[in-house]
Amino acid sequence: MLLSVEKLRIAFGSFAPVKDVTISVDRGEILGLVGESGSGKSLTATALMGLLGYVNGHVAGGRILFDGEDLTGLPEEHMRRLRGRRIGLITQNPMTSLDPMIRVGKQIEQAARIHMGLDGKAAYRKAVDLMRDVRIPDSQRVHTLYPHQLSGGMKQRIVIAMALAGEPDLLIADEPTTALDATVQAQIIRNLVELVKIRGLAMILITHDMGVVAQTCDHVAVMYSGRIVERASVGSMFAEAAHPYTQALIGCIPRNGMRPGTLVGIPGMVPSTAALPSGCSFHPRCSKAHTICHECVPEFRQFGRHVGVACHLAGQYE
Amino acid sequence: MSSFILRRLLAVIPTFFVVSLTVFLLIHLVPGDPIDSLMRAGSSPALREQMAAKYGLDRSLFEQYIIWMGKVLTLDFGTSIIQGRPVAALIAQNLPSSLTLGGTAFLFSSLAGIAAGVLAAKYYGTRIDSSITSGILLGSTIPSFWLALLLILVFAVWLGWVPVSGARGWSSLVLPVIATGLGGVALVARVTKVSMIEIGRQDFVTLLRAKGVSESRIRLQHILRHALVPVISILGLRIGWILGGAITVEVVFARPGLGSLLIRALNQRDYPLVQGCLLMLSMAVILGTIIGDIAQAAMDPRQREASK
Repeated sequence: MLLSVEKLRIAFGSFAPVKDVTISVDRGEILGLVGESGSGKSLTATALMGLLGYVNGHVAGGRILFDGEDLTGLPEEHMRRLRGRRIGLITQNPMTSLDPMIRVGKQIEQAARIHMGLDGKAAYRKAVDLMRDVRIPDSQRVHTLYPHQLSGGMKQRIVIAMALAGEPDLLIADEPTTALDATVQAQIIRNLVELVKIRGLAMILITHDMGVVAQTCDHVAVMYSGRIVERASVGSMFAEAAHPYTQALIGCIPRNGMRPGTLVGIPGMVPSTAALPSGCSFHPRCSKAHTICHECVPEFRQFGRHVGVACHLAGQYE
Repeated sequence: MSSFILRRLLAVIPTFFVVSLTVFLLIHLVPGDPIDSLMRAGSSPALREQMAAKYGLDRSLFEQYIIWMGKVLTLDFGTSIIQGRPVAALIAQNLPSSLTLGGTAFLFSSLAGIAAGVLAAKYYGTRIDSSITSGILLGSTIPSFWLALLLILVFAVWLGWVPVSGARGWSSLVLPVIATGLGGVALVARVTKVSMIEIGRQDFVTLLRAKGVSESRIRLQHILRHALVPVISILGLRIGWILGGAITVEVVFARPGLGSLLIRALNQRDYPLVQGCLLMLSMAVILGTIIGDIAQAAMDPRQREASK
């Protein structure tokens, strides 16, 4: 197993917005990390990159095993050598994630220079090759452009090329297409999946788009207010989701042949992580909630490496 | 880029006329008359009129301005009424000393200010930051002439490390440079700190960290580069300001220079000399601003684009 996160708890001071996250991903696999905004997906990604310290957070419990090494206690200097080299990050908003004052080609070269020891011509060739891999046309010309001269989709391709420049084993893509046009989204996702499969990378794809999950991922972990509520393979999740929240999320996907006005949302709002409801934090929005759901936090019951659910009622109401 | 520079330079022309008009009128608002300084007690009114006619002071203000402007455009600033020498020559004689002081103080405030700002941003929220910030507050509130007196007292009188006044040798430059430049250090440090912190919060910095770029390199090669954009426009304003900013300090240290020249001319109501000095100082401010703009455009590709 390339990456396995065990009972990860993230805290800011004494306040813990992410509790008990257990996920794993291996080479050649894509794990979808799904949930509404505020569920702790991005914080989990930040923790995996070892960047929590820069937002004044810390890992308060659990382990992040990457290639057999626990990253949680790693000194910053050691962690820095892993970032970009073995774990690549693709962020949400390509408009702001590139340095506006530096030519995009140079920004791709930077990672290759730091981690691969490439210089001059070799770094340049590497950057141009990577740009071709992420389907940037006319890469030699684009190499000399500044970020503001590129479209959003092109910028995101640059970000992806940058993440690949250190030839990482694990890619973390935090909502890589949320800020892009629908037409570009599909291209970028297809390109990402292709790169992952060809290079045999592991990828954690953070998204709230169940459609994207269905098309790309092998396994899924669903997060709700800082906890993993369900894990399953993509096929079984869409066929027989065990957690009412997962079922509701799937119910939100528009389908062919739907009559206007029949698309339903999930009633209520994601609770603030600072004031969670008692018991199962989903119970106020759950159509199946029982008394026990108000009182006890459901334990995550693991049924297999990639399968498990945290619901009192799962397996009982069917 | 060259058309940008050209357009900025063309924009100077209207500014120049407005400034010249202000400079010209300003001195006439001040009560007093240069002829008074030239007359001996008991001189006849006829002699007085004769003198006024000699210097053209009997004509209307508008006529005086046109005559003055026509000459200024050919770089003839007239003759000092009191000292009897061409204004241009007096300015040329005093300029090098002012430039040395102003230039050194400018360098001092840029370098020390940026360094202090970078440090304060790096140690934001710690004791290092709060001591730099208090230093900034102190530096920006102490008037330079008072600081100059204090420095003289401590370093020249008590400790005897440097001369009290004058302009002989480099050691006499130390205190005036500190007195003139400290306000600039404070200003530059404050702007550098704030913009370093603000830029450090942007997404691209997170991505730089995710790439594995070291923290010191992120600070000095990426964040500082962005943070310097507002710093440079402020420095641009100070390039010109520092010639004028040294006026009181020059007087306190009894250094020759534009400031001392201007103050003396003001006391004697020496119209042509005051006008020449003020015009010189204001043009320095305008040119400094343009240099700042150009430097800023050269640094930021987006600005370069917008100004094509």
